[in-house]
Amino acid sequence: MFVSVLIAFVLYTLLGKISVSLLLLVNFFSLLVIYFALKKGEIYGACLGTICGLLQDSFSLSVFGVAGIAKTIIGFFAGYISGKINVTSVRRSFVFVFVLLCMELLIWAFLYSFIFSERVNTGGGLIFFQPLITAAVGSLAYRFLLKQNRSKM
Amino acid sequence: MPISLKKAKSFIILLSLIFCQLVLISIQVPMGNESNYFERVVFSVFSPINSGVVSVFQGIGNIWKSYFGLHKVQKNNQRLQEEVFRLNQENSLLRSILRTYRTENKMLDLLSEFEGSIIPARTVGMDASNIWKSLMINKGSLDGVKKDMVVLDKNGYLVGRVVDPISFKQSRVQMITDSQSGVYVVPQDKNAPGIINGLGNGQCKLEYIIATDTLIVEGDSLITTGFDGIYLPGILVGHVISVKENISLFKEIRVEPAFKIQDLDLLAIIKEDIHDLF
Repeated sequence: MFVSVLIAFVLYTLLGKISVSLLLLVNFFSLLVIYFALKKGEIYGACLGTICGLLQDSFSLSVFGVAGIAKTIIGFFAGYISGKINVTSVRRSFVFVFVLLCMELLIWAFLYSFIFSERVNTGGGLIFFQPLITAAVGSLAYRFLLKQNRSKM
Repeated sequence: MPISLKKAKSFIILLSLIFCQLVLISIQVPMGNESNYFERVVFSVFSPINSGVVSVFQGIGNIWKSYFGLHKVQKNNQRLQEEVFRLNQENSLLRSILRTYRTENKMLDLLSEFEGSIIPARTVGMDASNIWKSLMINKGSLDGVKKDMVVLDKNGYLVGRVVDPISFKQSRVQMITDSQSGVYVVPQDKNAPGIINGLGNGQCKLEYIIATDTLIVEGDSLITTGFDGIYLPGILVGHVISVKENISLFKEIRVEPAFKIQDLDLLAIIKEDIHDLF
């Protein structure tokens, strides 16, 4: 898990280095949280969500804990809902991740505007594409992982 | 364990995690911009990774550039020679202006005090919550970086100031475009001081300019006054892009910062001791 957090952190740093706009479009921490929540369940997802969220918060000037709460909730629900419905197909996983990321964005935006009493910077509307782009990246990665597993078998 | 008990346990853990983070948030409210110890620890542990990744990335980029960019060297050399010439001219002009105010010894003393007063730094990360709030740089307490040191871009325009947390080799810069930031400014060659606050969207607003004031117009350049005790006087902050009057006592003035977000690769941190010169 620690290695995965490190990889997500490295990817986050690289994205920021390539273009600051990419930071608004793809959220590797959320993908990591959802992936492990699907594999290991809701408690693991919630705990990893807390770690990744607080890590993201520590590299931001916003209040420490805002992204933490948002990621804890999606980590929990990713594990909880995946136990009830089957989300293993690529198409379903895309929709599932997309819905969770929309939920995360809403929680984060609500907490942010509530604490700071200011409007969230949407980066010219780019942030609204974050769930879509991140879900697309996630499902592509998931497809790749599935292919890898099949070729091993 | 029965399913309902297991479910209840999961929800209790979720609620506990959320509760702990809410406590963490509520602790920070009276602390303002100060970061708590937990945040400092997380920042200190992970910031070297941030810096390392950027260095590796930069190294690969440099190899690429040095191999494929050789043909550009001659062109750049010529351009740089012209720039050095221009800067020399500018330097001598400034020296001649200074001479009218001070004796040569005093002037040389003043210029020598500037040497080593700047710490060059590189941006290693942007704020994920809002890119106009803060950025991370690869210089920290070991390089002499301290809280409230002024940060400029490569053209000498104001970017912001150093804020907590500062680790050994990394620190955070609050940008002037952050809504929590405030800089005391004045239009160049005019006497109408006001305070610039960020809007969080890449622009700023100039506050406390009364509605009857006619001095400030669109296109005015704003420079720091130094009255806030943090920023040195005379640094270019931005340009007025719109001046509106409304029913309130003060004018609604929008300001475009002078720095460009895509040009924040290299930064200059002004050491504290330079404040003594002004």
